[in-house]
Amino acid sequence: MAVTLTQKETPPQKPRRSMGGFYPYGSVLPALLVIVLFTIYPVFYAVRISFYRYLLTKPNSHPFIGLKNFEDVITSYYFKNSLINTGIYTIASVTGVILFGLVVAMLLNTKMRSVGALKIIILLPWAIPAVVAGLMWKWILNSDFGILNGILYSLGAIKSYIPFLADPTLAKLSLILAHIWKEGPLAAIFFLAGLQLIPNEFYEAAKIDGGGGLTVFRHITLPLLRPILLVVLVYETMTAILTFDIVYVLTGGGPADSTSLISWFAYAEIYKSLNLGTGIALSIVIALITLVLIILYMRALGTEDTIS
Amino acid sequence: MKTNPRALIKSVLLNLLVVLLVIYIAGPFLWIISASFQGENELLKKPPSIIPKNPTTDNYRYVFTGRVPTSYEVTGQLRSRISQEARLIAPALKNSFIIAFSVLSINLLFATPAAYAFARLRWRFRAGVYNFILGSRLMPAMAVAIPYYVIIQSLKLMNTHLSLILVHSALTIPFSIWFLTLYITNIPREMEEAGLVDGCNYFQVLQKIVVPMILPGLVAASAFAFMTSYNEFLFARFLTTSIASQTGPVIISSISGNPDVSYTLISVCLTLAMIPPIILAITMRKWLTEGLSSTITYR
Repeated sequence: MAVTLTQKETPPQKPRRSMGGFYPYGSVLPALLVIVLFTIYPVFYAVRISFYRYLLTKPNSHPFIGLKNFEDVITSYYFKNSLINTGIYTIASVTGVILFGLVVAMLLNTKMRSVGALKIIILLPWAIPAVVAGLMWKWILNSDFGILNGILYSLGAIKSYIPFLADPTLAKLSLILAHIWKEGPLAAIFFLAGLQLIPNEFYEAAKIDGGGGLTVFRHITLPLLRPILLVVLVYETMTAILTFDIVYVLTGGGPADSTSLISWFAYAEIYKSLNLGTGIALSIVIALITLVLIILYMRALGTEDTIS
Repeated sequence: MKTNPRALIKSVLLNLLVVLLVIYIAGPFLWIISASFQGENELLKKPPSIIPKNPTTDNYRYVFTGRVPTSYEVTGQLRSRISQEARLIAPALKNSFIIAFSVLSINLLFATPAAYAFARLRWRFRAGVYNFILGSRLMPAMAVAIPYYVIIQSLKLMNTHLSLILVHSALTIPFSIWFLTLYITNIPREMEEAGLVDGCNYFQVLQKIVVPMILPGLVAASAFAFMTSYNEFLFARFLTTSIASQTGPVIISSISGNPDVSYTLISVCLTLAMIPPIILAITMRKWLTEGLSSTITYR
């Protein structure tokens, strides 16, 4: 949803003197009320709570402690750990999602007969709940009865079953694998939409000039796909940073906090440590990090727009 | 036409890539569906059989009627486990369905007139309100989960459908407005002009001229709203504490949290939970794809 602000709205072509009086306000009001109730108040409330000590184990004492919650959060080992995990996870899964999306989109854009099946199933991972997707992968990767272990074992690729979710590195990889599976299809649909906008003449001209597949990709497809690539990059970065559902069901942040991403850490602060103050302070830090990223990306998109 | 060996190799490799991708995408679905038709003793073999050797619908019957599957009566070194919680899935999915359908209706009722006002009418604060509505979606869910909990509690709406209907509406309406505004901006406006000249007011123009023209957009927007609500987990987890009010994703996550859970029964739950979105994704594939594509290519 981060892509929203980058879209330019087209102003109505003809200025209208009669504006229907209150009609426009009436049409927007119901939607606006619902959104305001769940935007303005929550933000103020969150900011306020973050300045108080708010332990659910001590329901009657909430002293004002200034920035102590933020200090506690930022200096804690677990924050650094989850920040590093989130960084690794985001870079790996965004790269994976974009590569997956590009490959699938380019295949879907060909006239190969076999892509028909791909076309029918491509939306499925995107459509199901992330919780369901995470659990599907959890059973597939199960160290005692999982089908992946079963297949690898039958093929003779492994001698004994691998505990995918019990090893810190393998657990990270499993999470990324499941994330790419869930998020890749949307990127593929977006890239396909972009590819279909590229006029065929460009490719034909390149063919006449004798360009090979890779040259055509580098000098025609990629530059023309750039605006969409950037939007997908923004959207997928946000999605990856805020990943929660899949962590919750697939790894629960483990083993040994190796998959504790920042949203999971905030959740654990709130639910396990029962510390609302630091939990919310952490959430505000997450919000600020994403906001900074959005602004940076929008700058990049803005310059892109003026160039093209 | 003579076959160029290089082109042949390329074609074989590309087709192989497609096959691998199809397995990666569809494999997990097929496996979970297959597992849901196996007895627990068959599923826990090493290695498990990909296609059930003795397919059985006992697991489904247990979830809906409570009759214990025969495979659990077999005693041996394999422990038989039965997860009674699996029987909660049907009411939970019913909750999900009621909530998602209400969210869809609210989206259509609230977002369509708003999108029309943003796309076609000129009024003060238009750009400001539009940007505020879209910007509201930039808040990370985790940051507002506790405040939402406080709001819902003070409205005395904990453990009600209404709480999630409200929250999911606030979550989905911005996207619907944005999507429909783009959609309306991109249809020709001559018909509306004619309608206004003929003396229709804006509401009549919207109802009689615009809505029929944007029907595909409305269908796509409905599907997006439905799916977002049906799939949502974090707020549902925070705002429902009673089993009777919990939705599919919440119930499934808590069933699977039990280390002694029955794998076949969890496969049944997963299969049942993914049926509605899969039906939507397959039957409305064209509209969903076009809708998603339009969000990234329309200007």
